[in-house]
Amino acid sequence: MTHSSVMRVPGLVRGAWATLLGIAVSAALTVAIRAAYGYDPLFDGEAITIVSLVTAPLFFLVGIGAFSEWFYWAGGKPTRPEDHSSHGAHSWKDYFKVNTDHKVIGIQYVVTSFFFMLVGGLLAMMVRAELAAPGSQFVDSNAYNGLFSVHASLMIFLFIIPVFAGLANYVLPLMIGAPDMAFPRLNALSFWMLPVAGTMMTLSFFAPGGSFATGWTAYAPLSTEVPLGQMFFTVGVQFAGASSIATALNFLVTIITMRAPGMSFWRMPLLVWANFSTSLLVVIATPFIAASQFFVLLDYGLGFNFFVPEDSGDVLMYQHVFWFYSHPAVYIMMLPGFGIVSEILAVKARKPVFGYRMMAFSLLAIVLLGFTVWAHHMFVSGMQSWIRVPMMVTTAIIAVPTGIKIFSWLATLWRGVLNVDTPMLWALGFLTMFTLGGISGVMLAMIPLTIHVSDTYFIVAHIHYVLFGGSLFTIFAGVYYWFPKMTGRMFDQTLGKVHFWLTFVAFNATFAPMHLIGVQGMPRRVADYPEQFATWNLVISLASFVLGLSTLIFVYNMVASWRGGPRAGSNPWRALTLEWQVSSPPPIFNFDAVPTVVGGPYEYGVPGAVHGVFKPAGHPAEAEPAPQEGRARQPAGAVAAGSTDREQ
Amino acid sequence: MASVEESTKAPEAGESGHRGGPVRWLPLIAIGLVSSLLGIALGVLIDWFPVQASAQADDIDTLWDVLVVASVPMFVLVQTVVLYSVYKWRMRPGEEGLDGPPIHGNTRLEIIWTALPAILLVSLVSYAYVVLTDIEEAQAGSMKVRVVGEQFLWTYYYPSPEGGGKEVAADQLYLPVGKQVEFEIQSKDVIHDFWVPAFRMKVDAVRGITTRYRADPDRVGDYPVVCAELCGLGHATMRSTVHVMDPAEFDRWFATQVQEAKESQ
Amino acid sequence: MASAAAVEHHHGPPPANRSSRVEPQLLGMLLFIISEIMVFGAFFTAYFFIRVVNGAEWPAQGTELPKLIAGVNTAILLSSSVTVHWALESAKKGNRFGLQAGITTTLLLGATFLFIQVNEYVHIGFAPQDHAQGSIFYGLTGLHGAHVFIGLTLLAFTTLRAFRGHFTPEEHRGVEVPGIYWHFVDVMWVIVYTTIYII
Ligand code: HEA
Ligand code: HEA
Ligand code: CUA
Ligand SMILES: [Cu+2]
Repeated sequence: MTHSSVMRVPGLVRGAWATLLGIAVSAALTVAIRAAYGYDPLFDGEAITIVSLVTAPLFFLVGIGAFSEWFYWAGGKPTRPEDHSSHGAHSWKDYFKVNTDHKVIGIQYVVTSFFFMLVGGLLAMMVRAELAAPGSQFVDSNAYNGLFSVHASLMIFLFIIPVFAGLANYVLPLMIGAPDMAFPRLNALSFWMLPVAGTMMTLSFFAPGGSFATGWTAYAPLSTEVPLGQMFFTVGVQFAGASSIATALNFLVTIITMRAPGMSFWRMPLLVWANFSTSLLVVIATPFIAASQFFVLLDYGLGFNFFVPEDSGDVLMYQHVFWFYSHPAVYIMMLPGFGIVSEILAVKARKPVFGYRMMAFSLLAIVLLGFTVWAHHMFVSGMQSWIRVPMMVTTAIIAVPTGIKIFSWLATLWRGVLNVDTPMLWALGFLTMFTLGGISGVMLAMIPLTIHVSDTYFIVAHIHYVLFGGSLFTIFAGVYYWFPKMTGRMFDQTLGKVHFWLTFVAFNATFAPMHLIGVQGMPRRVADYPEQFATWNLVISLASFVLGLSTLIFVYNMVASWRGGPRAGSNPWRALTLEWQVSSPPPIFNFDAVPTVVGGPYEYGVPGAVHGVFKPAGHPAEAEPAPQEGRARQPAGAVAAGSTDREQ
Repeated sequence: MASVEESTKAPEAGESGHRGGPVRWLPLIAIGLVSSLLGIALGVLIDWFPVQASAQADDIDTLWDVLVVASVPMFVLVQTVVLYSVYKWRMRPGEEGLDGPPIHGNTRLEIIWTALPAILLVSLVSYAYVVLTDIEEAQAGSMKVRVVGEQFLWTYYYPSPEGGGKEVAADQLYLPVGKQVEFEIQSKDVIHDFWVPAFRMKVDAVRGITTRYRADPDRVGDYPVVCAELCGLGHATMRSTVHVMDPAEFDRWFATQVQEAKESQ
Repeated sequence: MASAAAVEHHHGPPPANRSSRVEPQLLGMLLFIISEIMVFGAFFTAYFFIRVVNGAEWPAQGTELPKLIAGVNTAILLSSSVTVHWALESAKKGNRFGLQAGITTTLLLGATFLFIQVNEYVHIGFAPQDHAQGSIFYGLTGLHGAHVFIGLTLLAFTTLRAFRGHFTPEEHRGVEVPGIYWHFVDVMWVIVYTTIYII
């Protein structure tokens, strides 16, 4: 390769050119097809846009080089040994290239999703500004509908789901003693589909007729009858979904086939269990949202009749297919957080996670039950009424495994040595706020109540208590907790605590009153509301601005500490899990030699307990004998009755 | 790579178990009980709901109270344990190298906290089921109103006394008090949702099918009708009014409607 | 991770421990197939709602589905499952001719299947825009057709490599993994055919 023109070097520049090329090809293709069928306006902007939405991203992905290796392989060339040239980051520029190192990808994921979180948050600020007083402040109702639709879509598909995937990308291979993920190139592709999806959704504001404005649920037939902006959601979700599925598949294969010797399933840290469960959900459920959006795309773009009852279509079918994904999706947005909290509570309370096995089993129970409750979002949809009661029962039952987790965490705290620093504060905040959100969820399971409060601000309150007070609190906890590992530097604990308290107070001031106005009768998704709700909405809006500002403290802390924070040692939290036994940040291939796991991950307080044993590189396997204590009680520790060190 | 040994300074076992002295259960339980009672009082006394104008509203508001009574203690339990643990077992200066006692589990406890919530939930669900059958029960002599939603207004159709499937249309909803109404709800375009907060009842209006619910208006007055399903541009303003009136007054209103309908033919 | 790591740049990662006897590629393909099954599941859900819940007439009034031709097509696709298996067995035995012949035949049979299906679309006499039955008919068969196409693309690469002398009795994952996908596509067709044409 002597000739180094732009089009030969994979990267963002080539990606940009490829995107343009993709649009040109789509236009040509569309015109050709319309000519072949003899359609009248040969040049139809709407059709071209839809086709471009699908093809241009693919061109982009080829352009940045996400497929290069596979093309090489597919071309029939002999498989060359990995040269690892796309592994590890040597300067900040490497973060803008296709990289196969799970640590680089993890950071790419986390930073990208936080970027979209800020955009989504900014949209929420605009929502609150509009709702600060009744009547119209600065947007019309179509723009308003667009604001909360894009807000929610970014938060869900480009923040919560991918940021968990990013955190796990970074720490999970380290935790199980693997040098990388099972399919590093697929991993890179998964990441690069995200900016595509996010950009698409954000750009929808520039579409003629405004952004998509049908909520993140995009119910048909509204979504098949609105302006073009809708397609930016319909297609964007496909890319976000494909990214999720690919990552989940990667996690599953990594967890099953690449654990370090001695790392049996019952010695895996709970974060690994949580991501294992989440990935099962993703692989099984995500295809349903893909299909639901295919149907919308076909009805919208090609005039199919899936949702046209006059032509035997079925409107409610959309909701069944959509919620069959989107209910499990709420657990996709929560289980990884459960994993993070288990890690942090054990380390910060200096105690083993209470009831380790039950913790893992309840994750699996939630996965199973999660598939049996989708219609609780449809209690007032007019579906066959007999479906409601079974769904009410299963929905209520989900509180049981979740309760097991909450109570086990409480028992983990009990009698511990609680180091209440920033990550711990967020974890404790999660315990309290998620419980509240979960309880309002259980109230929502009760059909007669839901008949009244469905589609009101009571739901908005529930959403934010579980997603912000639940998922986002665990994300903050996790980011603070692994920040020293990822950057090699320590963040500012004081700022972290200020961030927590400010957020905690503003969060409650914002979302708690929503329960009240919801029950009093304020519907959700409205740009305007009766005078009666004015006072509370003003309070909520003011509080929400404080909430927005508090996020900036976090951003400042992270950026400043990354650039100039004090060096963090390899194991600042005195943790046992494997990721803390390597340097911060870890060496490029994680380990010189894969460690051997000899005990459970959380044996805090067990004298001399060890989780993993590192043998010097190149030396034979046996080496150090495992300390007896750790070996003796780890596997069945969680349930073994009558263990000697049990509380009397 | 740091060795693992250095990171786990072995705690003096035994010693760590008694940090902070024994748990003082009595004050703890007392605090829990008092805050639960306060929480319940708050939850029940706050004026959550709009006016009650139907028999259904009464049932649903009671269900709410029951749910508050059941869930506040759950919430208080979690709070109390978190706050108490932080208060009592917080890491104090000089304890940085200490570990807690290695308690791995306790089967009896785990069974308790699986079974108790399960029992609680099953009872709540059973009660909710009873309420559900109550609010959907058909009463003798109910009247029918067909409600049709379209972007962005509601129209109400009453069966005409002439019979033969003829109907009388109105753009606001008028109902006699004390008589059950069965709403048959339809949509001409996208999905809407026919919600009368004062009745506590709602159901989607779905194109292609007819959905229905019953309400027993039991209080004279004017109440808002709200569209509760995002239906596009005008969703926020898709409102109308239900007038619940004396049966005699309703009959007069209905007679004029029938008359007008005839004249306009 | 910059500087410290740069030193180690030239040697690769330590070999990962193999904690399961299952091949990663195989497991990955199986999981992918699970999610593919779910995609079809969603389309069958749509079919179920239109035909059973909504009680639409099947096939739509005045239309007819070419059971016979589609049946022949089914046989073609099923036989390609046999030939791809033959290719794999030959690769395992080091029989290059069998590998090349098997994989080429599979490719041809698959292409024939697609051709017949497109031909069927042209002559079937209704469009997806006509009614929901048409939508789901084209939806399901089209989804399946797209999968045949993906399978064919994978197999085309395998063919290319087979003719370039790749694949040995020890290393034949490049035949096995696309082969599994191909079997999945075939089995899925039997289900699609049965529900759409027969029942
Ligand atoms: C992280 C996301 C998340 C999570 C974890 C949950 C968890 C739960 N959700 Fe939530 N939900 C959403 C996100 C989430 N939800 C969103 C986004 C929507 C709105 C979608 C939309 O329309 O836009 C929604 C909507 C929604 C509805 C539909 C409302 C409507 O539109 O009419 C319902 C109804 O049943 C519901 C129920 C539940 C239940 C029972 C749980 C349970 O899993 C909660 C279990 C947890 C606990 C109960 C707390 C801890 C347990 C104990 C301390 C034990 C003891 C407790 C008791 C005995 C009560 N949710
Ligand atoms: C994880 C998910 C998540 C998160 C974190 C949030 C966060 C917030 N949400 Fe959101 N929300 C949803 C998920 C989420 N939301 C969902 C699923 C819906 C339902 C949508 C639907 O009906 O379809 C919804 C709907 C929703 C509504 C209802 C709209 C309606 O029904 O009409 C409201 C109204 O107040 C709201 C408000 C907020 C606020 C104030 C925040 C705050 O927490 C935001 C805090 C602000 C920030 C974090 C950003 C701060 C940054 C800056 C100010 C600077 C920005 C700088 C740059 C961009 C460079 N949300
Ligand atoms: Cu009609 Cu909202
Ligand atoms: Cu749900």
